[in-house]
Amino acid sequence: MLGKFFESLYLKVFVNIVVKNSTTDVYIELCSSKGVIDNAEDSFNTTKMSEEMLEFITSYTRESPFSYFSLLDMSPSQGAIPTCSKNKLSYYYDISASEYKCHDKKWTYYTSKSDLYDIEKRYKDIGIDFVFSPFSILVNFFKDKVSSHHAMYILVQEGFISLCVFDNSELLFAQHLDMEKITESDDLLMDDADDILDLDDGIDLEDIDVMDAEDSLEDFGDIEDLDSLEEIDEFSENKDVEEEFYHEEDAELAPSDESGFNEDYQRFSLIQSSINHFYKDDKYESKFIENVYIADGVGISSDLKRYLEEEMFLSVYVRHLELGAEVSELARIEVGL
Amino acid sequence: MKYSYIKPRQKSAFTAEIQLLVIFFFITLGMLFITYLFLLFKDYNFLSDMDEMATAQSELSVNIEDMKEQITFIEKENLLAQRVYTQNTVLKDSIANLFDLVPQRITLSEAKLLENGLILYGVTPNKDIYNFMLQAPLRSIFHRTYSSFYPAQNGWLRFVSTNYIDEEINFSQEIDSEN
Repeated sequence: MLGKFFESLYLKVFVNIVVKNSTTDVYIELCSSKGVIDNAEDSFNTTKMSEEMLEFITSYTRESPFSYFSLLDMSPSQGAIPTCSKNKLSYYYDISASEYKCHDKKWTYYTSKSDLYDIEKRYKDIGIDFVFSPFSILVNFFKDKVSSHHAMYILVQEGFISLCVFDNSELLFAQHLDMEKITESDDLLMDDADDILDLDDGIDLEDIDVMDAEDSLEDFGDIEDLDSLEEIDEFSENKDVEEEFYHEEDAELAPSDESGFNEDYQRFSLIQSSINHFYKDDKYESKFIENVYIADGVGISSDLKRYLEEEMFLSVYVRHLELGAEVSELARIEVGL
Repeated sequence: MKYSYIKPRQKSAFTAEIQLLVIFFFITLGMLFITYLFLLFKDYNFLSDMDEMATAQSELSVNIEDMKEQITFIEKENLLAQRVYTQNTVLKDSIANLFDLVPQRITLSEAKLLENGLILYGVTPNKDIYNFMLQAPLRSIFHRTYSSFYPAQNGWLRFVSTNYIDEEINFSQEIDSEN
């Protein structure tokens, strides 16, 4: 009773940390029982806890004992599984070394236990109260769509892509992709590029279903060989044209946009390979994806949307998302505000 | 815990600063309470001292009264003693005078002093000596004098002289004389 009384006297401070490739964004919200009173954010050129960051955080948290520190989980070993049944979890992923949580008794999201320990160790100076999965962020952000639509939902962060397919709140497929990790292995990217070419020929694949498997594979192989050279050439040409077009349109933003273009293409490739994986893997209940909702946390260019629309015939909707604010919203839900 | 992998740490409003504040608050309250108790004790002590002093005052008043009575009693005793002393002196003088009245030839064997009289026992060689030398002065002193004789073995006379002073007569005589 006395504790509740004292709690009502203090503001609640939500410190939300989003670690990116080389920087860390800290978003702070001051909340009373009536709602958000104030917020502040800053970005630090480090991925670890620095003195400067600690000073910035403590300048807000020292005023109230009710400070909640939230972190967006950046572990590469995380994902989501379309079941909550413990017996079926291992069918999708070996979760013996993972911490997992069931969402609405429908699907499960998980992350590496060792990564969680690492987070707690890294932020022991301030202490972490909440660690949120990007999938939780995504579902909460698209809660108006997830419950009533069949679509793919993509959270684009710096260095990571979290994507999942929901059919009326039922998770069908989810994947968390580390762009940096995949960039390191060029072979994989090339394989993905091949896969992209396979997927691009959606009409061919449908034809293949009707034919014998072996013959179809052979035929498909022939087609791939014939088409790949031309298409790669065409694609390289297209890329050049687009880059030229980009240079003409936005000359001032050229350097960042060039990297943005590469990243967007990389994202497109990853999304494409994931969709391919979803369609091909028997573990998942494949349903044709028509709509894609992208939560843009980094400021993607229109190229990614265009790629997805033109290359994969998807209807793409992009919503801008402030990761810090979304993490804070989840933290507020956790606290009960 | 709906979304987070980990549970939040327990939050408490009783931070180090608040704990310090509460400790100081309670110390202040304690000191005030102790001061209050001290004042309460001093007040009680003062009241009890006042009661004791009032009791002592009343006792002293009683003692003073007793002492006054004792002083009065002692003064009375002193007066009485002085009177007795005076009376004794008078009596001694009277006895000395009485014995001075007795002549050499008469021997007294016993004398009884009464409140208003004197009885003398003795031996006289004869009645004349007694009558002239002892009875005459006794008569001048006492109002009534009675003498009786009986012979002794050696031929002398034993006598008993009874003498009384009549005070009322003396007083009435004094009044008559004054009138």
